[in-house]
Amino acid sequence: MSIAKLENVHKVYHIGKVDFPALRGISFSIEEGEFLSIAGPSGSGKTTILNLLGCLDKPSKGKIFLDEKDITALPTAKLADVRRKNIGFVFQTFNLIPVLTAMENVEFPLILEGQHEAKERQRVTEDILTEVGLKDFLHRRPNEMSGGQQQRVAVARALVKKPKLVLADEPTANLDSVTGEEILQLMLELNQKTSTTFIFSTHDKMVMDFARRLIKLRDGKIESDQKVNKK
Amino acid sequence: MKMLFKLAFRNVFRYKRRTIITFSAISYGLGLMAIGISLYNGVDTHAMDNIINSQTAHLKILARGYFEEKDEVPLKFTIDEPQEIKSLLKDNQDIQGIESRILFQATIISGMDELPCLGVAIEPEVDPLVFKIKDSITDGRFLKPSEQKIILGSGLARDLSLKVGDECTLRIFFSIEDFIWNALDLEIAGIAKTENPMVNRGTVFIPLSLAQEALSLENRVTELAVRIEDKKRVLEVRESIESRLASLSKGYEVVSFEEYASDFRELMRLRSRIQAIIPLMMILIATLGIVNTMLMAVMERTREIGMLAAMGMRKMEVMLVFIFEGALIGIFGSIAACIIGGLGGWWLEAKGFSLAFLGEEISEMVSFLPMEVYKGDLTAGVLIFTLIFGTVISILASLYPAYKAVKLDPIQALRHVG
Repeated sequence: MSIAKLENVHKVYHIGKVDFPALRGISFSIEEGEFLSIAGPSGSGKTTILNLLGCLDKPSKGKIFLDEKDITALPTAKLADVRRKNIGFVFQTFNLIPVLTAMENVEFPLILEGQHEAKERQRVTEDILTEVGLKDFLHRRPNEMSGGQQQRVAVARALVKKPKLVLADEPTANLDSVTGEEILQLMLELNQKTSTTFIFSTHDKMVMDFARRLIKLRDGKIESDQKVNKK
Repeated sequence: MKMLFKLAFRNVFRYKRRTIITFSAISYGLGLMAIGISLYNGVDTHAMDNIINSQTAHLKILARGYFEEKDEVPLKFTIDEPQEIKSLLKDNQDIQGIESRILFQATIISGMDELPCLGVAIEPEVDPLVFKIKDSITDGRFLKPSEQKIILGSGLARDLSLKVGDECTLRIFFSIEDFIWNALDLEIAGIAKTENPMVNRGTVFIPLSLAQEALSLENRVTELAVRIEDKKRVLEVRESIESRLASLSKGYEVVSFEEYASDFRELMRLRSRIQAIIPLMMILIATLGIVNTMLMAVMERTREIGMLAAMGMRKMEVMLVFIFEGALIGIFGSIAACIIGGLGGWWLEAKGFSLAFLGEEISEMVSFLPMEVYKGDLTAGVLIFTLIFGTVISILASLYPAYKAVKLDPIQALRHVG
């Protein structure tokens, strides 16, 4: 089943008086459980695609479907609801809330979602943090953790509400290569275990190597879209 | 909601220095405001009490026409039957005491020096029931009926270097324009230092019989000063006195202390309005402090706000985090303000402050209020007002920064480098 679909999507940014076309007619569909990398040089439109899939932005032309529902014309408040329920984000700069502990950061999306049973929330949170290897760091604040640990918390936070889609914008760009690989390995394992769909943007060869499907962009168009068979 | 509050609470302590500065501005500004209000209230009540106790009593019965010209201290409007009026009012339970008095213009002469003053002829045996001059004698003793002695205000005594037992001459004017006067050589029985500097600076008290003789007024007086049990009932008592006096052939008017001291009240109102500007400025500074702190917080946390929006946090929830933050700083600041205001107000109420440290002459010059010691009047209402006012102001001050926060575009916010 297609979990997300882009149909002839165009996106034009207006910078001052200049129109800057970021996407020029992108169409592809994503199946449930995919581990997909969108690659390309900077300015090729990777982040724009993630923003559109993440309901943070609207296309200038074309249609976007999530779970077979057209979300193109949804008002901003509805888009926030879609994000809260269906989408997990992992950012390049981790973006944890500095005043909350690892536990609280991961618990946060559950609270936003309206899960009121505190004990259940905490159990789920602890489980996922254990799964990402942070059992002993539950009560640490972000500034008491390494970059890799923070990104693990971010992955746990993205996954805790069991979203349909996890979007990761250059998730390893701020990490050294060893830690970056560990994070990718972790995401891949979680993808296989939970069948959660992962889409991440990158221009890093090592990251592309992890993907099971690789879409290459150039100048706002798809250059290639191929399945990758892995060892 | 609990989570939003937790977030806000921790964010308050995230930028400690800035929070402390804003907190200090609020507590200082509002604390001063609370002290200011206590002082205004105190000055209002105490100054009025001082005027009542040394000048106006609660009510004055005057011959018709006197009140309009009271500043001239005229002798032509007299009460001809003071004893009759007193006995008419004898059974009024509200009245504590009625004293016959004559006010007249005079000068006091000691050697080569001569100073103008207000002469007040009193009934020494009745005066303590109506006024508090007797309690304010600092040197010597109070007057006895019919004796050839006077009481001097402490300022006058100082200016003329007179002390108890000294002789001086009192020049009593029938008419200043026509320069008709009578002179009495009198011994000083006592020095009065009331809580009203205006009285201390320029008043001489002499026994009533002496003044009546010197002014050829026989049994007549210029006013009957009335003290009542309960100040709040002044209007009712005035009405009842007026209805009793209606039976008399001569026209009289009954004037309350508020009317008698209306100039002073007007002055007070003006003064407190002008002085209220200072704490208002402080509050404005505190408010700007909160706006500034919260705007800085929005700027510094732009990416965090973007991330919260990306996670699906509603605009209202983002706004609430910032409003809670402002409110928390405001509540903490207001509590501290209540402590500062409470301590300051308590000190003002218990001890008060005197301008005497400026030296007696200067303090008399700068002080135009009828008070020797400035005392506050602290009420729970003032503190509750401070607390609520501070909190409300803080919430209002965080509305704009909170609005700025939700107006941010999540994509731009996430890209923000800060």
